[in-house]
Amino acid sequence: MVMSFFRRGETGIDAIANRTVSMLGDARHSFDLASAAVLSGADPEAVGADVRDTDERINRAEQEMRGELVVHAAVHGTENIAVVMSYTLLIKKIERIGDQAKNILDLADEGISLAGEPDIDTLLEHRRTISAMMSEVADLLVDPEEERVTDFRERADVLRRELENQIRGYMHSEEPGSFAVPRAILYRYWKRIVANLAGVITSVTEPLQHQGYLDEGETDIADD
Amino acid sequence: MNATRAEGEHSLNKHREVSTLPSADCYVASGAMQTTTDPADRGLPTWARSILVFALIYFFLVGVSLLEKGINVMGQDTQESLFSSVDNPIAGLFIGILGTVLVQSSSASTSVIVGLVASGALGVESAVPMVMGANIGTTVTNTLVSLGSMRQSAEFRRAFAAATVHDFFNLLAVAILLPLELTTGALSRVAESISNQLVGSAGSEWKSPVKKWVKEPVGWLKDIYEGLGLETNVLGTVLVITGLIIILAALTFITKNMRELVADRVERSLNAMLGAGGGTIAMLLGLVITVAVQSSSITTSIMIPLAAAGVVTLPNIYPVTLGANVGTTITALLAALAASRPEALTVGLVHTLFNVSAILIIYPYKPIREIPIRLAEGLADLAVQRHLVVVVYVVGLFIIVPLIGVAILR
Repeated sequence: MVMSFFRRGETGIDAIANRTVSMLGDARHSFDLASAAVLSGADPEAVGADVRDTDERINRAEQEMRGELVVHAAVHGTENIAVVMSYTLLIKKIERIGDQAKNILDLADEGISLAGEPDIDTLLEHRRTISAMMSEVADLLVDPEEERVTDFRERADVLRRELENQIRGYMHSEEPGSFAVPRAILYRYWKRIVANLAGVITSVTEPLQHQGYLDEGETDIADD
Repeated sequence: MNATRAEGEHSLNKHREVSTLPSADCYVASGAMQTTTDPADRGLPTWARSILVFALIYFFLVGVSLLEKGINVMGQDTQESLFSSVDNPIAGLFIGILGTVLVQSSSASTSVIVGLVASGALGVESAVPMVMGANIGTTVTNTLVSLGSMRQSAEFRRAFAAATVHDFFNLLAVAILLPLELTTGALSRVAESISNQLVGSAGSEWKSPVKKWVKEPVGWLKDIYEGLGLETNVLGTVLVITGLIIILAALTFITKNMRELVADRVERSLNAMLGAGGGTIAMLLGLVITVAVQSSSITTSIMIPLAAAGVVTLPNIYPVTLGANVGTTITALLAALAASRPEALTVGLVHTLFNVSAILIIYPYKPIREIPIRLAEGLADLAVQRHLVVVVYVVGLFIIVPLIGVAILR
């Protein structure tokens, strides 16, 4: 602890930024495993322990980073206060993605398996898209190039609306509940994950007072 | 599933390998998350700031030497009338508290005390209670910082307890060590013995190498003031005032620049402490940070928002403040380098020995160690219920009681 004073190393915000990328990696890992349990017929028990361990790791990282952000503010005063607040919001969004991955696993725990269903290709395509978006967000955190950020936000918005339409469709569907309800719930989790991913990028690129809100004034975690 | 897991792990590993960070530059480019974590971004480059700190330390030593010279220029009668009031040790203790509260820095007040001892106007016996008072007075800064959390009861309880644990430890230390010193002279004897070994016996003149470096500018200033027609007491007073201004300004800027220089290191080591907890290592951390920034108030005040947010617990903050107590004594020792009497070093060493002894007496035995924690928690509970308690405590301990004490005992 004392020697850390004398060693050279990452500065506080840089270390925190690095850990957010790592947290995203963990969130993607949880998401891929939980989705595999619902869509690819993986044994929920087999993947459950890993998903929960990863979620705990994400939660612990968030708690530690909150402490580190307070330390940063205490040491540096107000000079980086906007960054501290942005990161506080950002890590919360990543932590929520971890929770939502766990929620997807809960579907599998309830015995829901969509493997082999007629719409599985569409479902798997969505899963792949969202998983790739997590990787993209991690890249954008490292290099938030303006054009790529704008492109990502536009695609995230389109996907979010598409997922929302799917949810509305299932709400009014003539299909039996055992068909429509699991899909509506799964799409809802996906929609929230996409919204949180967009929110992570917003945290890096937008002024603080705009963060957490979409252009129309909705919050980026809106459930509608 | 294996394929999915492999994909997940691939993404995990890929991102863990990323070592090029979202640095200050890329955030600046995006116009949103702008950071100023590189010391070079905060104005001066590190090398220039380091040179500036050395220059400021030199000015600080010139200030101490000016103070000594100013007192020496004054007549013997003036010296006696100025310092007769601190012959009473309790009055000296209160003057130490008041002086430190006034300048908000025990480093500054103890350096002035060292300067006065160096001039011969103040004896070691009179200086020791003043140094102990300085230890109490310095805790007012973090207590004031804790008042920032007053609107949130839970936060304020934690912040105020974290601030006042330092007060109670220092009060307990004085309650134990001042009577011991007055009856046996234990601290000053040990300090004198060390001082004898290092620079010679009391009453002799110590040819400090640092003194030679600071002698010239002191002489120039004296010549300038004499050229303006100032002499004896007026000249002495002007030299003393100039010395005080230089000491305070130099210490302020040393602290400011050192804080800039070591902020990232402080942050890194505090983060390490969050994971590792308190104890002796936290004490060493408090010492190292305080030596680096030359101010115990900076170290302890940094801990207050951490306590308020619940990031660090009171038992973990406690040893950091004790380390800060020891670390802050480096400034008086530094000031003694510019002095021409070994007694100045003796007083600096008493300051160090006092704080080290207090830790050795109070900290190892749990029931005694926890007294300041219990008192701080009790006072914080009261303060949350009635904010008037805070006002009475701060104004009473740091201003009213010392003022009344000095008025009665001088």
